[in-house]
Order: sequence, then C-alpha cells, then structure tokens
Amino acid sequence: MGHGVGMIRDCDGIMRRYFGTRILPGAMLALGLFAPGLPLAAESAAVTSPRVTATLLSSRDTVAPGERFKVALVQKLAPHWHTYWLNPGDSGEPTQIKWDLPAGATASEIQWPAPKAIRVEPLVNFGFEGTVLLPLEITVPADARPGETFELKAEATWLVCEKICIPEEGTFSLDLPIAAVGTVDEAAAARIDAAIAALPKPAAFRGKLRDDAGKLVLDLPGLPAGVTDLRFFPVSDTLIEHAADQPFTAGDKPALTLTRSGAFKLATPEVPGVLTFTEGGAPRAITLLADADPALMAAGGTVAPEARPAVVRIPMPAEGADLTLWAALAFAFVGGLILNLMPCVLPVLFIKALGFAQLAHRSRSEVREQGLLFLAGVLLTFMALAVAVIALGSLGSSVGWGFQLQSPPLVIALAVVMVLIGLNLLGAFEIGTSVTGLGDGLASRGGRLGAFMTGVLAVVVATPCTAPFMGAAMGYAVTQPPAVALSVFMALALGFALPVVALSFAPGLLRLLPKPGRWMLVLKQAFAFPMFATAIWLIWVASVQSGPQGVLAALVAVLAAGFAVWLVGVTRGSFARRAFGSALAALVVLGAGWFTLQNAVPGAATDARAGDIEAWSPERVAALQAQGKPIFVNFTAAWCITCLANERVALSRQEVKDAFAKLGVVYLKADWTNRDSRIAKALAEQGRAGVPLYLFYPARQEAQAEILPQLLTADTLIAAAERAGGRNAKTAALP
Amino acid sequence: MQSLTRQTFIAGLALAGLAFPAAAFAQGAAKVGAPAPAFQAVDVEGKTRNLSEFAGKTVILEWTNHDCPYVRKHYNSATMQNLQKDMAKEGVVWLSVISSPPGEQSHVDAAKAKDLTVQRNAAPAGILLDPKSVMARAYGAQTTPHMYIIDPEGTLAYMGAIDDKPTSAASSLEGAKSYVRQAVAELKAGKPVSEASTKAYGCVVKYAPLS
Repeated sequence: MGHGVGMIRDCDGIMRRYFGTRILPGAMLALGLFAPGLPLAAESAAVTSPRVTATLLSSRDTVAPGERFKVALVQKLAPHWHTYWLNPGDSGEPTQIKWDLPAGATASEIQWPAPKAIRVEPLVNFGFEGTVLLPLEITVPADARPGETFELKAEATWLVCEKICIPEEGTFSLDLPIAAVGTVDEAAAARIDAAIAALPKPAAFRGKLRDDAGKLVLDLPGLPAGVTDLRFFPVSDTLIEHAADQPFTAGDKPALTLTRSGAFKLATPEVPGVLTFTEGGAPRAITLLADADPALMAAGGTVAPEARPAVVRIPMPAEGADLTLWAALAFAFVGGLILNLMPCVLPVLFIKALGFAQLAHRSRSEVREQGLLFLAGVLLTFMALAVAVIALGSLGSSVGWGFQLQSPPLVIALAVVMVLIGLNLLGAFEIGTSVTGLGDGLASRGGRLGAFMTGVLAVVVATPCTAPFMGAAMGYAVTQPPAVALSVFMALALGFALPVVALSFAPGLLRLLPKPGRWMLVLKQAFAFPMFATAIWLIWVASVQSGPQGVLAALVAVLAAGFAVWLVGVTRGSFARRAFGSALAALVVLGAGWFTLQNAVPGAATDARAGDIEAWSPERVAALQAQGKPIFVNFTAAWCITCLANERVALSRQEVKDAFAKLGVVYLKADWTNRDSRIAKALAEQGRAGVPLYLFYPARQEAQAEILPQLLTADTLIAAAERAGGRNAKTAALP
Repeated sequence: MQSLTRQTFIAGLALAGLAFPAAAFAQGAAKVGAPAPAFQAVDVEGKTRNLSEFAGKTVILEWTNHDCPYVRKHYNSATMQNLQKDMAKEGVVWLSVISSPPGEQSHVDAAKAKDLTVQRNAAPAGILLDPKSVMARAYGAQTTPHMYIIDPEGTLAYMGAIDDKPTSAASSLEGAKSYVRQAVAELKAGKPVSEASTKAYGCVVKYAPLS
C-alpha cells in the first residue's frame, strides 16, 4: 500500500458506508429467533397487574436511519375490565404514552381504534375490552448510526375499570439495533398491521351537525344504505350525552339524533368523531368530520379551549410510507451527485466536460445532444444494475450496491477497465468513437455513441465507490418492491448524471472552464494515475480473495486487455486486417477471461496471519469463553479500507500486542473478504451489515461482548483489553 | 318526549321516588341556570335533609367515593379538605354525597362515613347517604368527584369537574384551576359564572340498579 493508495483512502468512510449497505435481511430475521441474550425480540418485557398485561410491540427487529416504523402498546385486559378511548365517555381517562426517545426520533400520536360503548348503567364508557393494540409510528432520525442501538422508552399511564377504577402505569423499553436496513418482525408486524387494518377509515363524506328544537341532529349524507346499529362517538367529551340513545332516521336523509351534553361546548366548527355501524352483517367504523351549523355555533357554542386536542386520528399509511420513499429518493439523488467526485469517476467526467468545452465553440445543440446521450447511458446502466440487484435479491442473495466486489472475476474486470482508461488517458492508444468517447480526443465531434458509452463507463467505474447518503437509500431500495427499488436507482442515476447534463445545457457554465490548451492534455494524463491506483487496489483485493493465483489472473487479464487494444490499433486499414486484428484480440481476451475465471476462485486466499492470530468461529468463541479467557474478535475484509487502516495504526502496534499478551487476550480474526454466511450472521447479531466490527469478550463465561468503535486507536484497544481481561489479570497477580 | 322536558319528567319521578324508565340516562336532570333538582336524603346523623332548608345559602354538592383514585388525589393532598374549610369560611354549605349502593365500592354506613371524615380531617357541613342512587339520578352525577353549586335562590350555578386536570396523578394538582373556587368567587361578586358547566372527570358513580 504505497503512495498511490492514498488517493483511494479518501474513500475510507465511503467504503465503510458502502459496505454498510450490504443487507442480510434473511440472515438477520433468522437470527432474531435464536440469538441468545440479544435484544432482537420486538416486544418489550410485560408490565402486569391482575387486570392488565401490557407490552410494547415493534414491527421491526432492526431499524434503519430515517425510516418510520410501527409500534403498538398492547393491553391484554382481564374479563370485564376496560381501558379508555380518547373520549372516555361519562367517566374515565384515556391511555397516555410519554416517550423517551433518542435525540431526533419522534413518535406519532396514538392511532385510536374504534371504541366500544361499555355500559355501566345508567352511564356509559367509551373504551376497549379484551386485547387492544394502540398503534403509532416512530421515526428514526436520519443520522442514526448503524451499529448503535435505538432505545425506545415509553411511560404509559392508563385507567382500568370494571366498576371500580385503578390507575396503572408501566415503563416499557425496547432496544432495537440500528442497521443500514431495518428487518421486520413478521409476527409482530402482522399483529400491528391487523390492528391498523381495523382502525376506523376516513369517511367518504362529511357530516353536518345542527340544532333541532334543543336536540342535536347529525346529518349523514353519503351514508351507505341499509346500515344499522349506528353510534356516534365524538372526540369532544362536552358535545353530547354519551349514554343517551341515538335514534337513527333512515331514508334519503339519514341522520342521528343526539342529546346535547349538560356541559355542551363546541370548541371548533368542525366536529370530529367516530361513527360505528353494521353493514351487511359486519361491524364498520369510520372517522367522521361534521360541520357544525353556524346557528349552532352561535347558540350553543361557548367556544372554549378543549383540554384535549379535538383531532380525528386518521389511520396512518401502510408500510412503505411516503416520507421514507421521498427521503430515500432524495438521499439517492444527493448520493449520486456526490458520486461524481469519487477519484475513479472524476477523471472520466472531467474529460467529458472538457470535450463539451471544445465542442461548444462549434455547436451548442450537439453538446446538448451529447449531454442527453450521456444521461441515457447513465440511466440505462443504472437500470441494468437495478434489475440485477432486484433479480439477485429475489433469488435470495443478499446483495446491495457494490455486491460485485465479493466476486473475484468482477473485481479483476474492473481492474482491467481502470487500467485501460488509464492507458487511454495517457494517450497510449486511441479506441475510437465506436468504443468510448474518451479516445476520440478532446475535440471529438461525432461521438454520439461515445457520449452514450461515457455514461455507461462512468457508472461502471463508479461501482466500487459509494458516496455519502447512498448507503441508506440503497439499503431502503433493496427491501422494497421492484418498482420502488427501481425509482431509487433512477434517482441515484439522475443525481449522478446531473452535473454533466447541466453542463451540456448551460453554456454559461461551460464558459467558466478555462480556455482549452496544453493544460488539458497534462490534466488528462495526470488523471491516468488515480485510475492506475484504483487498479492496484482492486488487484490487491483480488489477491486477498484468491491468493497468488488471483494476482496472476488479474495481471494476465490486464496484459491481455492491453495487448488486444494495441492489436486493434495496429491492424487498422483494410477489412481483412481489421478482421484479423479483431479476431485475434477477441481470442486473446477470451483466453485471458477463461484463465481469470479458472484462477480467480474465491476462498483460495492463503492466510498471511501473524502467529498468534486464530481464525474466528462461533464454536471457538464459545470454547474460549468457557475457559474464561478474554477474546478479541476482528471482523475485517481486504476490501475494507477502514479495517486495514485500523490494523495498521492500532492492531499491529507493539504496545497493543504486549497488552494482549500480558492479559492473555486471544485474538480471533473473522475475514469477510469473501462471502461467508457465518460471519454475516455474526455481524447481524451485533446489528451490523458490514465490517469493520471489533468485539471484546470479557474474561467471564456468558458475558456479553463489548463493541469497540469503528476507528481504533492503540489506547482504545489497550483500555478495552484491560476491561475485558481485568479479572483475569488481577487473579493472576495474586500469589 | 319533546314537549314534556326530560328535566321535569325525571325530576318529578325522582321526587315521587318512583322507578325510572329503562331508557333514562343519568345526566340531563340538572341544568345550569335552572332550579336545582330538589332532594331529600338522610345524613350520617340520621337526619333527613332537604334542599329547601338551605334556601338563602350557597350549597355545594360533592359526589364522592373514598376508594376512587381521583377522589384520593384530592383528599390525600388535603386539597379537598382545604377547599371544604375555605368554603365554610365563606358561609357555603358543603354536602358530600355517597351514592354507592350496598355491595359496591365505597358503599358506607353512617359510622364508617363519620370515621372517614375524622381520619381524613375532612370538613363537610354534612354527608348525605344515597344508597339507592336517587339523588345521583336526579342530578345526573357521573363521576367521583362530581361537583354541583346551587346559589342562594336554589338555581344550579355550576356543575362539573372539581378542576381542569382530568387525571388521577397527584402531580396534576399543582397549577390546576379550581372550577369550584372560581364559581363561588364569581357568585359572591355577583358576576355570572364564567365556566358554569364542565366535563366532570373521575371514577364512574356506582348506581343502584333500578328495581
């Protein structure tokens, strides 16, 4: 890792994010069922009394930054006991939840189920019997960090009554791991979804509330014909006599006759409530807004502020809430924009922009056309990627953006592309307009296909990198239906294409570029080196994935590619020459490709590990824990730049090694360079979707591991080792 | 039902001590601005009390249930006792009413009611026992506490909650607005009661079944 890699290291955080997006929903879900001692269960501990068993239920085992998810307070009531609706009726008090959420997180109001009229003759209460779920939505802040824990705490108070009433309260807490992608607890989600499906639906009509000789009449135009057993539950507790009969007038002017409350007040001219009735033998409930007659407002309306907000709770949207989609689209777009600045992408785009600058002197329309063709290239390539990701995802593979880097042949292919672009930038060969727009020279005019291919190429060279914001968006995309996933990818593509397209449409911007000249050539050549550096890095990744054979395969592939483009270059002229050249080049490429596939086999990596580092396995961890030894586990991968930096600056330091030796720390390494479902599972158990992950198991049996920060220092490690090995060290020190 | 107001209908039945029609519901008998329903109930001293004997005085009715968490909020903090004492100083007659029938929570006999008063250092002018819930029906008492204020002319001046914090949490007492104090002060000043009818909160009043 010499000088050249320095440039790639700029990708540091970026790479982390990128691999942070790799998702293992299946694995995580499966793990949720048997991960011992981990807070993956989506239901809090129960608060119980002889009357109520209450829990907080979450639809998610794992939550993602920026998403909304559903939770519910569940009250399982003993027979004959009830808790209360928003308007409790003649007595009582609704259940209330006070949230203590992480900074930036928010909770919606309770989405109230339709109440039942519970008679306590001669009075009535509005509430719930049996088992009631009070659903609501929690929003995770966009800056929540994968790997940390989302701590959900709620203090709920409720009054539970039979005839006598007991105020009860409970504190509920759920610790949900934050990951790039949330995972659904199917059973809990099904229960909450069922509760949400049963919520009152917004009425398709508005009611009208008017006075009729001292009575209140609620007109219900638009009420379906043939409904029976109507009952209106106003949100306000000072509107009607709750226990009074509500005679129904059927016919073409359906209406309910209500009795004014002794404490009659109209707080707002819009009166919210829930209407329950029976339609076709089935119970129905709708949320209804009734407009109070102005005369009624004037007469009866002591407009007084209500103690309780008089708002109808409209059922929340189903899974895949708009906000999340919009956020994902915005994130993808911004991520795409930033992607332009990646060291492997910038050269390609900059050269394109310079091409525009020259072309602009001759034909604006042509520049615009090229801009659009570039856009088409970008869109189509992203679409192809999206289709691949969706298809693989539907086949059960856990893939996301950049999944291809776990495939050695693809890593090598990318290295070859980088080398060819580098050679091209240096002017070593000219490919011509038929292959890329780059080799055409800066003043290219006819590069229609070239412009399109530049778009394709730009996306291809961008794939090893992930820009900020992309992680969350991609993570969201792969859990969504294909149409949604595709939209997110398209938003990414649009963001990615925007700078070049904007440049092609805004001559003013082009004018900002310096005048073409020799500096262009120099810059073009200079840009070759980031490409070579990227190639070196990719070949090194291949070396770790496939060992020496992988390096051989990669270098052979680079050689063959170079030879082939040279061959095509020198065999110009007659058709025969060209045919011969092309055929030979194709043969060379095919041969090299075959060779690469034969040799670049994952898992062939030989471990160049220091003597005292052992390979990780869950069994080994269990065995060592049983012996009461402190254990350090390093989850790493060759393609993880952060991991390598940590190994260099912290893990390989002598003082760390000394501390580990003194405290008897066993160092286990879990190498995720190649796919490994066991490592993926272990990562998921810790709420991670990627590496690095550093765990320190204390020298006590059954102890939970401490998760170390993703950026290590020698001091952090030594301090953690002392914490973990503390007991052992002291015991050992005793005579 | 429209021509014969329910108010007079129910009040009439209550006075006659007759059974109610099953369709009747609790509230509606008492109405702010109208004559307060007359009552006749036995107090803990065994004396029969009538509304009429308090003519010329302001009367407060407090429906209570010593086991109800909402009532306890006001007694455990001495808020209710202080209110009773302050009202006594103002010359207001405070009557606590217990409407629970035998077998229901807070049904008490005279001895127990007196004992509770001593224990809690309460200061009502009288405690009315209403085990057949007749008075509760006449007034439409819904909750404990449920407060009624009758002015010296016998007109109902206030009905509803004791304060504006409808919860059983003791912490809610701080900063709570006492509707009772407000109404009595306004009555004394000869002003109309600004909030004469509020939604009572608390435990449900346990009614005796109609027989």
